[in-house]
Amino acid sequence: MKQRRPKKYGIVIDATRCIDCKACLIACKVENQVPEGFWRNWIRPLWSREPNLKTEFQPRQCMQCDGPACVQACPVGATYKQSNGLVAIDPIKCIGCGNCVTACPYGARYRNPVSRVADKCDFCQHRLARDEEPACVVTCPTQARIFGDLNDPRSAVSQRVAAGDLVRVTAPHVDTRPNIYYNRETRQIDWGVAPTLPGNVHMPIDFWNQNPKR
Amino acid sequence: MAVKPRGNLSRRGFMKLSGAAAACAAAGGPTRVLHALVSTGKQPIENDTRSVFSACDMCFNKCGLIARVEKGVVRKLDPNPKSLKSRGMLCARGNAGIKQLYDPDRLKYPLLRKGPRGEGRWQRLTWDQALDHAAEQMERIGKEYTRCGFLFMAGTDMQSTFVHRFAEAYGSYNIISHESNCLLSRNRAFLDTFGVVPTPDVLHSRYIIMPGANRFEALVTPDSMDLMTAMQYGCKLVVLDPRYTKTAALANEWHAIKPGTDMAFFLAVAHVIITEALYDKKFVAEMTSGIEELREHVKPYTPQWASRETDIPANDIKRIARELASAAPTAMVYPGRRSSDYQDSTQIRRMYAIVNALLGNWDRKGGLIVPQKVKAGDISIDAPWYDDNPEDRVDAGRAQMMFDEEGSFKHTRDAVIEGKPYPIKGWMTYKTNPMQTGANRNKTIQMIHKLDFMLSVDITMSDTAWLADLVLPAPSYLERKDPLSAFLASSTCSGVITRNPVVPALFESKPVFWIVKELAKRLDLSEHFDFTIEDFRKAQLKEIPEVARAIKEDGVYNIAGPSYGLHKGKPFRTRSKKIELYNSRYAENGVDPMPVYTSPAPVPPNRFRIVVGRNAYITQSASTNNALLWELQPENTLWLHPRPAEKLGIQDQDMVEVKSSVGKGRLKARVTRDTRPDTVYMDTGFGVLSKGLRNIFGKGACIAEVLEDHADRVSGNMAMHETFVRVTKIEG
Repeated sequence: MKQRRPKKYGIVIDATRCIDCKACLIACKVENQVPEGFWRNWIRPLWSREPNLKTEFQPRQCMQCDGPACVQACPVGATYKQSNGLVAIDPIKCIGCGNCVTACPYGARYRNPVSRVADKCDFCQHRLARDEEPACVVTCPTQARIFGDLNDPRSAVSQRVAAGDLVRVTAPHVDTRPNIYYNRETRQIDWGVAPTLPGNVHMPIDFWNQNPKR
Repeated sequence: MAVKPRGNLSRRGFMKLSGAAAACAAAGGPTRVLHALVSTGKQPIENDTRSVFSACDMCFNKCGLIARVEKGVVRKLDPNPKSLKSRGMLCARGNAGIKQLYDPDRLKYPLLRKGPRGEGRWQRLTWDQALDHAAEQMERIGKEYTRCGFLFMAGTDMQSTFVHRFAEAYGSYNIISHESNCLLSRNRAFLDTFGVVPTPDVLHSRYIIMPGANRFEALVTPDSMDLMTAMQYGCKLVVLDPRYTKTAALANEWHAIKPGTDMAFFLAVAHVIITEALYDKKFVAEMTSGIEELREHVKPYTPQWASRETDIPANDIKRIARELASAAPTAMVYPGRRSSDYQDSTQIRRMYAIVNALLGNWDRKGGLIVPQKVKAGDISIDAPWYDDNPEDRVDAGRAQMMFDEEGSFKHTRDAVIEGKPYPIKGWMTYKTNPMQTGANRNKTIQMIHKLDFMLSVDITMSDTAWLADLVLPAPSYLERKDPLSAFLASSTCSGVITRNPVVPALFESKPVFWIVKELAKRLDLSEHFDFTIEDFRKAQLKEIPEVARAIKEDGVYNIAGPSYGLHKGKPFRTRSKKIELYNSRYAENGVDPMPVYTSPAPVPPNRFRIVVGRNAYITQSASTNNALLWELQPENTLWLHPRPAEKLGIQDQDMVEVKSSVGKGRLKARVTRDTRPDTVYMDTGFGVLSKGLRNIFGKGACIAEVLEDHADRVSGNMAMHETFVRVTKIEG
């Protein structure tokens, strides 16, 4: 039998299609039983009234980075990178310290007040196991998200990446190599912040070195 | 740009899904479980996971969905990728549907009012007690005031047909729907121009003028989705709206038109199109009647004149008219949905229809189209005759050209309050909430105080139920077996959909079909309800077996083939058998045969015109208490421009009072340039009276409380943008 390459999941977001209807927020919340007051995904509105600068709504979620700050920040190895490209959390190992929450340059994590462990988007892994796409992807009225396997050159996401008209959000001093891509025209892809840890603890030196800013 | 089922889900995944649903339906799974439950009252024991097709009921769109049920609990609602009308999507409200099902605020058993109306003291009744009481009251009111002394009002629902049937059997012609608070004047206008109400083929359009409609927030399927797709393919969108809505923000062009002047804009567009001979001469000559009258009529309505009325520069009006004409017939003036705004709202929409007719945006790709509708069968009714009934509906003659089958909430309410031409003493409402959607709430309360008996069937304690005498609990759409519903939509996506119970009905809730059947039994009318939903469906499907098959396999039946070119060669169902630019029937009924413009009343000093609407998380008053949607929007705000806000000493987030001649409300101000300085705006669905809606009680203000109840002269549709308000800061 032919050996299959491991999958590497990614999402291409076309922010020019987003109408800020928040279907993806509710779909995710229900699918993943996210408690009241917390969200695994959200939309950043960039309002404009200039005739040559359009209003844009940017859907966001965990970037499933290839150089994830959260993994570096986790003191117990509860957050780890899977072979399918997803950054996962082992709820048994997680001690709920919250390091990963501040370490994420994209604000994609929160501490679940019910389970008391870190939580974030995992591309709906349980749905992927059922051969279904993530809840936010299938529900989107304007199909602003395309989901697929970046290791499969025939997938829609790979073809979009290969076309070279996409950009990624990165933090000011470090490129965490996200697996979420946006259209090149996407306005002000600038919302990554420097990863930090609580108190006087710092991200390991290695982390900064291994991710030179492009 | 062919419309295909969503390709995102892998074929294999979908086959698995639909296979599961089909197997479930074939085994009679959910139905059998329901009956087993009703007899024993026990919760189902299910270890399996099931996927069941249904149709969303969080608004009127009926989007196809697949419910995922784990161990008897609905865990997730996903879009049905085969549902072409919804373009395989489910919006925020659709996703929040599980919280309509699992809502602690749901009505659980029949309730009888004990204290004064609105005090909220209730006595729990058994179903037998409740039905006996209701039947007794119906019998008595029918005897004392004739059968027309009982009024029926049912909202948009697949089972509303049974409420209408019951009213007919009972013998009342006083049946009204929600639509006279919504879109009747639009329907009137297009019907009286084209002989039919068309749907817009947004998907293929290249140029769309959207006056007033907010399609990226007030979602309509497939228009909202298709608008984005069309724009990605280069369609130009021009939005006229006093507010900077998300639709306006995403449009190519937005003009903050002065409220109530849209007719002036389109009279000027027609002026340009006719004087510059930009119209489709062949189409106009062959298909329309009245071009010469129209040519004369629009002469004075120049762009310069319209500019003064609308606050839109004359050059823009001219340019937009020319652009629209050059894109025609793959272009449109979008007809919109809710048209309950001004006293001449039918005539405003007549102008939209006329401009479309001039350009031949008709029955062609990208214009207005008349899609096929599946003709489902019916079980006919031989309604009894009651000799003592009055001649006509109670609201007859109060508007120039009312739809007899829809009536007018505004005029019916006036008639009930006046007791003229005859008294109405009973009212049954089903899943409609005029206390929140009908302008001038205090008048609705006044109307209710005129009644001897009011019965309300609903899922939660709406404001309307809150004032009723008897409140009966209905199940949510995920717990019901419904008849089939044939729907019309643009571009190859009309079809048929239905619902089977995804899970058994919770608490003591009973579908309205069962309720009216039980009432019919008690009123000696059971011969008219001598069937089950299954029998009714069989009658509906008799001539269309392919629909039954598709619904079983795909959860929805879609009509295949193009939606345009279907009207070719057919005469228009108008008096002239042509599209009526000039409507002679109007002339005979004392209605302007072509739209005559009257300037809206000027906004008095220190006051504002109030306009209302909603966003993608609100379905009027039906969804604001939903626990998931409430988190997106816990209250409404008053949009107020910074210039007047400064004058009034109001800052963003300050509490303000908004007051009209009929009512007032308290809510937070949202100081924003997204509305004109002369116009304030509020979302619907807040400021409730009912303490049974615990998430939103005490939050925001109610549009129905503040709005005066004006009516469209032609159709009797409510006119909700004719109210001026004062805004003051609430200190402390």
